[in-house]
Amino acid sequence: MLGIRLGRGSLGTERAQEALAGYAFIAIPLALFMIFNIGSLFYSLYISFWRWEILGPTDFLGLRNYQFILRDEIFHTAVKNSVYYTVIVVPIQMALGLTLAVTVNQIWRGRSFFRAAFYFPAIASSAAITVLFIYILAPDGLLNHLLELIGVVPLSFHNRGNWLGHSDTALNSVIGLNAWTTSGTMMLYYLGSLQAIPSEVYEAAKVDGAGGWTTFRRITFPLLAPAHYLVAVVSVIGALQLFDQAYIAGGADGNPNYALMTIVLYLYNATFRQFEFGYAAAVGIVLFIIIFTATLIQRRFFGSSDWASSR
Amino acid sequence: MSDTTAARPLTAVEPLPDDNRSRRRIGRIVIYAILILYSLIIFLPFLWTLSTSFKTLPESLQLTIIPREPTTYGYVKAWTQLLPPLPVMFLNSAIIAAIATLTNVFLGALGGYAFARLRFPGREALFLLVLGTLMIPDQLRLVPVYQILVNLRLIAPGPENYVGISLIFAISATSLFIMRQFFLTLPFDLEESARMDGAGFFTAFWRVLLPLSRPALAVVAIMTFQGTWNGFFWPLVILQAPAHWTLPLGLSQFRFQYSADWPPLMAMDVIATVPIVLLYLFFQRYFVGGLSAGAVKG
Amino acid sequence: MRRWLLVAASLALVVAQACGGSSSSGGNFDPATVSGTVSLSGWQASPEEGAALKTVLDGFKAKYPKITVDYQPVAGDYAAAMVAKFSAHQPPDVFYVNAEVAPDWIKQGVLHSLDDWAGSRSFDTSQFFPGYLNAFKGADGKTYGYPKDGNTLAMAYNPDILSAAGVQPPTTFDEMTSVGAALKAKGITAYSLSSTLDRVLAFIYADGGNLLSADKKSSAIDKPGFKEALNFYLNLFKMGYAKTPSDFGVDWSGKALGEKKAPIIFEGGWLDSYMHGTFPNVNYKWMEMPKGTAGKATLAFTVSYSIGKDSAHMDAAWLLLTYLTGKDGMKIWTQGGVALPSRKDVAAPAGKEVLVSSAAFAHPWSFIPGFSKVLDAFNNAFTGALQGNGNADTIIAKTKQTLDAQLNQP
Repeated sequence: MLGIRLGRGSLGTERAQEALAGYAFIAIPLALFMIFNIGSLFYSLYISFWRWEILGPTDFLGLRNYQFILRDEIFHTAVKNSVYYTVIVVPIQMALGLTLAVTVNQIWRGRSFFRAAFYFPAIASSAAITVLFIYILAPDGLLNHLLELIGVVPLSFHNRGNWLGHSDTALNSVIGLNAWTTSGTMMLYYLGSLQAIPSEVYEAAKVDGAGGWTTFRRITFPLLAPAHYLVAVVSVIGALQLFDQAYIAGGADGNPNYALMTIVLYLYNATFRQFEFGYAAAVGIVLFIIIFTATLIQRRFFGSSDWASSR
Repeated sequence: MSDTTAARPLTAVEPLPDDNRSRRRIGRIVIYAILILYSLIIFLPFLWTLSTSFKTLPESLQLTIIPREPTTYGYVKAWTQLLPPLPVMFLNSAIIAAIATLTNVFLGALGGYAFARLRFPGREALFLLVLGTLMIPDQLRLVPVYQILVNLRLIAPGPENYVGISLIFAISATSLFIMRQFFLTLPFDLEESARMDGAGFFTAFWRVLLPLSRPALAVVAIMTFQGTWNGFFWPLVILQAPAHWTLPLGLSQFRFQYSADWPPLMAMDVIATVPIVLLYLFFQRYFVGGLSAGAVKG
Repeated sequence: MRRWLLVAASLALVVAQACGGSSSSGGNFDPATVSGTVSLSGWQASPEEGAALKTVLDGFKAKYPKITVDYQPVAGDYAAAMVAKFSAHQPPDVFYVNAEVAPDWIKQGVLHSLDDWAGSRSFDTSQFFPGYLNAFKGADGKTYGYPKDGNTLAMAYNPDILSAAGVQPPTTFDEMTSVGAALKAKGITAYSLSSTLDRVLAFIYADGGNLLSADKKSSAIDKPGFKEALNFYLNLFKMGYAKTPSDFGVDWSGKALGEKKAPIIFEGGWLDSYMHGTFPNVNYKWMEMPKGTAGKATLAFTVSYSIGKDSAHMDAAWLLLTYLTGKDGMKIWTQGGVALPSRKDVAAPAGKEVLVSSAAFAHPWSFIPGFSKVLDAFNNAFTGALQGNGNADTIIAKTKQTLDAQLNQP
């Protein structure tokens, strides 16, 4: 395949060679995925039917792990939190990332500076950002000071001004934090594709008399369909697996009052605090099903714009 | 590469009546003002990091921007009190991140190309499988992956440990996804001319498509480097000897159960952020220009 | 036939060797002949601990020059790193075990029992404080680790703020209420109180309440004492005498004390190195926990050194373990004040008298396998109650539900 000249053979041989090339090019990634990822999935599926402890299996449980999960109130809360988080944070992330990318693409002076600046939250140490955010959202922190300046009294709120520490506002605060830090990453995804739109397209639009917003709505936005798909799918998959900020802000128990309990935090607890690997595996399988379903739904929704299927 | 191709702001080019022009200028000033404000807010964490790295421990808990008694206590401590020493950690992080970036860029581009532009049976199903790998949290993978690596004898205090961790970071579905989506936006007749001249699939990929995909490659490179540079979980469980530890594992040495030694922690943060910033600035140029019109000619 | 017998005999011999492990149970064990490498793992809670451990290991090297200690600390999530190693049957030889997870690790069989060796190799375990040692006994009564140190909860207060307000530090629950009221009248929130069980339980014990029955087989949470103490504690918040660290804008009570946001807190010995390093100019004193209706009570936190079940260097591990938890090793470890001795024959470092004397009435923070679920249930229910979703009854109900579920697990 490498450098072999195409013979003047029939269409059949050409397609076979193309297929062979296709398989060859994905061989290494696929092998690695099978061993280190998909393999783990099958392993988890297997052990999810057992009471499996640190040193191995003890009893065969059949579907009992799954029954327990589906009945567990805490798991219900975890799913509710993870889904709520995803549904809110993904559109915000996408909108923010797209806005930043289009802005950076459009502005003239200082473009490089702004491009670097907007990506910075993704680069900068999450330790610093999290600490700063915790400070800003503290009862005596920056946000409350600003609110007081405009005449609002945070201490009279139900959460007594403790944004991250109160069960009513904790999750929304994490949404705010994450939407902001991931905006830079989403911007990058969009930037890559924005650059691929040739200038002829814009010239043609201008000739037809289209203004800035119309061009964006009718031309740029639709042409970014592959990028939308990428950003949406990756965001949803990531959001459903929220763990780090929930763990840092709320601790392993999902405090305050399970407001920060997410599915992956629940899984973490099952593995590393309750040492029940079989149970954790069952949680992992359920999570996988949830995410996979969400991805399939997105695929159907964005499917028409996934051009590969048209070829 | 110049700034003059691809997305030109239409508003700057159109001839306009006079009153629109002044309105537009005000609009632009407002936009710039917002952008500058936003950027300042963004740099705030980094400013705090930088300034705290020069403070004493008691002062580090306050949010002053300029330290009252500047000191290099943090940097000295970070340099001398880490296990292993800071330069060793830096090198470990650099090696692991560099290998991961190279493999991701190459395998991602090659695989992304295959998924986007080559036809083979089961292609969409296999791509869904690739996406599926993103749906398995690390916490779930830990025990089986660890056991596989143990069986391959890659969990050991020797250099084979690097092979172990490189296998984990070698290729990510996100890299494949980014490259695939990018290749989907390129016209399908691009490599036809090369193939008509008799080039094989790999040559068409290497000679024609790869040079055009610099923006996407840059994105993959930045994401991968940054992800592995800041990665904590896998280095924690895979790297056995302290001599192999990476910067995030060093960072956690200044965090304790109830407190943190902020000045050296922030000093390490500053030092750890520098390479990423440099890399990003280096790859910036690929976000300018993008597709040159010439490629689509003919 | 004879050959068959020979094979069987040698097979039996091999099996016997394998079962006995690399150690000879009973018989001649000569420490001077043991050599090789032994791996040691744990975490580092402060830089002083790293320095102290190094000194201890130097002492070990001097005593057993033929044994090399390979120190492999874990730089982050200890449980995550350890669990992976356990499941791969490659544990470190000697490592830390937190008393909180000890019941789980013992039950799941990742620790080696130590009683046989203690007997045959004459290691004196009588000097360990029972409160600490019992945390590492399994349901089968065997010992699976020796406590390397201990820490208790006590009351730390800022004498300057209190005397300026004209109050004495409280010594009973009733005094806590009156001191709280007095300080509130001066506009000061008296206490920074954690909303987690690992602090609240001390107050519950002081009122005679209990989580578990004495044999740890059933829950005692609905017996007298628990609810009264819980209501007392919740009331401190309701009356405005106390706030959680989170509501003060800090991540733990130590910081509240240091930033002078609250003059009275309840923490353990780890407060000292924190205050010394971060708030060197804030004056504070230690005092015993206030008495409840059932007298004095507090909590004891401890960590053991244990040997991995799959350890490949049992003899060297045993020598290291007994040195670290023996009189000499522990003396070196604790003399700088990083932790308190868990043995009676090691003197308490200066300035820690209150914490050490509190060990006499301390209850160990170690319960049953699966305890983390009970802990989470209580903590979340408690925070819920503080934030308007529930009261003492709901806290007790939710905790009892989880506790009973865990007790009924096979």
